[in-house]
Amino acid sequence: MNRKVRLAGVLVLVLLGAIVSGCIGGEETTSPTTTEQVTISWLSTQLNPPEERAFVQEQLLKEFKDQYGIDVNFVPISYADLATRLEAEEKTGKVTIDLIADLHGGLDFFASKGWLEDLSGKTLEGRTFISTFEKYATIDGKKIYIPWMSATYVMVVNKKAFDYLPAGLTQEDVMKGTEKWTYDALLEWAKNLKEATGQPQLGFPAGPKGLLHRFLHGYIYPSFTGYQAKNFDSPEAVEMWKYLRELWQYVNPASTTWDAMGEPLLRGEVMIAWDHTARIKNAIETNPDQFVVVPVPRGPKGRGFILVVAGLAIPKNAPHPEEAWKLIDYLTKPETQVKILEKVGFFPTVQEATGAIPSGPLKILAEGVAAQSATPDAVVAMIPNLGEKGGQFTDAYRTAFQRIVLKGEDPETVVKELGPQVKQLFQEMGQEIP
Amino acid sequence: MRVKSSYLPYFLILPAFAYLLFFVGYPLVQALYIAFTQNGQFSLATVRKTFADPYFWEALKYTLALAGVIVPTQVGLAIILALAVNRAFKGKDLTIYALTIPLTISDVAAGLIWYSMLSPSGFLNKLLLNIGLIHQPIYFFGYQYRHMEFLAIVLAELWRATSIVFVIILAGLQMISNEYLEAAEVFGADYWTRLRKIVIPLLKPSIQSALIIRTLFAMQIFGIVWILAGRDIPILAGEGFYRLTELKEYDVASIYALVIAGLSILLGALYIKFMKAEYLEVRR
Repeated sequence: MNRKVRLAGVLVLVLLGAIVSGCIGGEETTSPTTTEQVTISWLSTQLNPPEERAFVQEQLLKEFKDQYGIDVNFVPISYADLATRLEAEEKTGKVTIDLIADLHGGLDFFASKGWLEDLSGKTLEGRTFISTFEKYATIDGKKIYIPWMSATYVMVVNKKAFDYLPAGLTQEDVMKGTEKWTYDALLEWAKNLKEATGQPQLGFPAGPKGLLHRFLHGYIYPSFTGYQAKNFDSPEAVEMWKYLRELWQYVNPASTTWDAMGEPLLRGEVMIAWDHTARIKNAIETNPDQFVVVPVPRGPKGRGFILVVAGLAIPKNAPHPEEAWKLIDYLTKPETQVKILEKVGFFPTVQEATGAIPSGPLKILAEGVAAQSATPDAVVAMIPNLGEKGGQFTDAYRTAFQRIVLKGEDPETVVKELGPQVKQLFQEMGQEIP
Repeated sequence: MRVKSSYLPYFLILPAFAYLLFFVGYPLVQALYIAFTQNGQFSLATVRKTFADPYFWEALKYTLALAGVIVPTQVGLAIILALAVNRAFKGKDLTIYALTIPLTISDVAAGLIWYSMLSPSGFLNKLLLNIGLIHQPIYFFGYQYRHMEFLAIVLAELWRATSIVFVIILAGLQMISNEYLEAAEVFGADYWTRLRKIVIPLLKPSIQSALIIRTLFAMQIFGIVWILAGRDIPILAGEGFYRLTELKEYDVASIYALVIAGLSILLGALYIKFMKAEYLEVRR
């Protein structure tokens, strides 16, 4: 390549740089028409289904453009593709991604590779992030992402079920998630319900597309063993499986065909159900007077539950970091967060937004979620990020469930057999076993 | 341009051939490649892995069992129904219309309809409870009730897919010339004799088409089982789907796809070989 061409290239870059920085720095040039139009690219593993994508493009980003005059190219992407692309861009130094939206596990991994900007020095006015989220977003003293949306899995109770509470347990205990609201109490309650109504009234999404495996590794395992996978084959785990086998007598057998609990709750097939907030939302929206959302019970080691956090991060050497920060500012505003909750059912990460939710079904959900997050004995579990191996991780828990609870195999044999497989997955990915 | 007439047939099937090559042949080669290679080398590791999984054999067993129960019942039922409506009576059109309605319903929708009918608080249980035939609802769903789930799938499939067999058979029936039957009647053949000696033999091509179509579809049965039984009753297509979407095991999923394709080809060939229909007029 001759020198002239290279010189021309450098000149173009300098000129472009001048235009871009002029556009950023110029506070007085509020009208976007006078400056070069900037389009930032936002890669997201979240809000990818078509209807959610439409909401992002037609509502969220349209409003953002009206307010800030910045165009955004929203690119829905799978985690595996995002990781490959980010790695390639960071390694070659040709970064085109301005903003990343992904779950905690993914962002944590990107940060460990040094691909993300440290956002510690930056501030966002008029919002207080919920402390748990703030805590997880800071890794090694660096703020690697801004918490954006959250989700979790809760229990939904048909109010009629409160008539059959076991002795010593009050409605208040269940709603607030006190010491007395334990897995043993749940067993007693489920037994009472079956005896009183003649039918099992507890339900789990144990169908092929259901999320029962999340209950296993993120709820009952931490509650009984203190960890998601570390004590997979411990004596405590064997006790846990024995408990679950006993509980299953009071679980509606059709659970193995259910993928989501919204419908069974509405059809009146169960009175108590556990599921992802997004998957029971329709039941609460349809009959807000009939259902309440409550924290999950606690086990010997505390109250295990999963917190799903999606965050916004800026890659190192992103072409338009200032504009990306403006988008972060917009997406974490309380109004925007409430809008996201209303449309797609993800919960806010800022306290101001929680207060701004209008009363109604969403409030019921948000209160249940807040009560669960606020329990003092919480054992918070994050979904491990195993990439392609994630399926094998969840399959191990499902297989254990199938063999122990459904087929009646000896729990000790099964966990001893599957335990090493589970732990090996983490070793292969070079991660600590949670 | 004149094409030499002996080339014409080849020329005419060319588009269909190109279509098959592209949409069936190419994916098939791709599936074979994924299934039988590892790191670019020929390997049987995936085959061994698949065959070592008890789910595979269960899936094969249940797929064949479902086909074995559903297909003959459907054909028998469709013949009876077709014979019943293949005569002049008031409301004939309406009856045929009603019988073919399920044709328009997708298998997933059919699964949901039957699920809500058979669930513990569903229509069937309410009816039986109300007329006092049972005191406890009958459970159709759940791992513990797999035989009932099997029954529910059979019922739903009979309801949903008998109509396609019915339509084919009815069309076949209507092609049978009345002259044969009238002649037989003149010679004193009763209804059963006419049915055995004339109607059924002449219906053979239709029955064969219906059998091939239904058996091949039975190998791919998926939506209805997925809705009504989840993975309680594993089936080949469902396991392939689960391996692909949940476990991201593309190689194992390819084996499932190849097994389904292989079974379909085998069964199709067997039908054509052993059920050679008598196309009397065209036989030379």
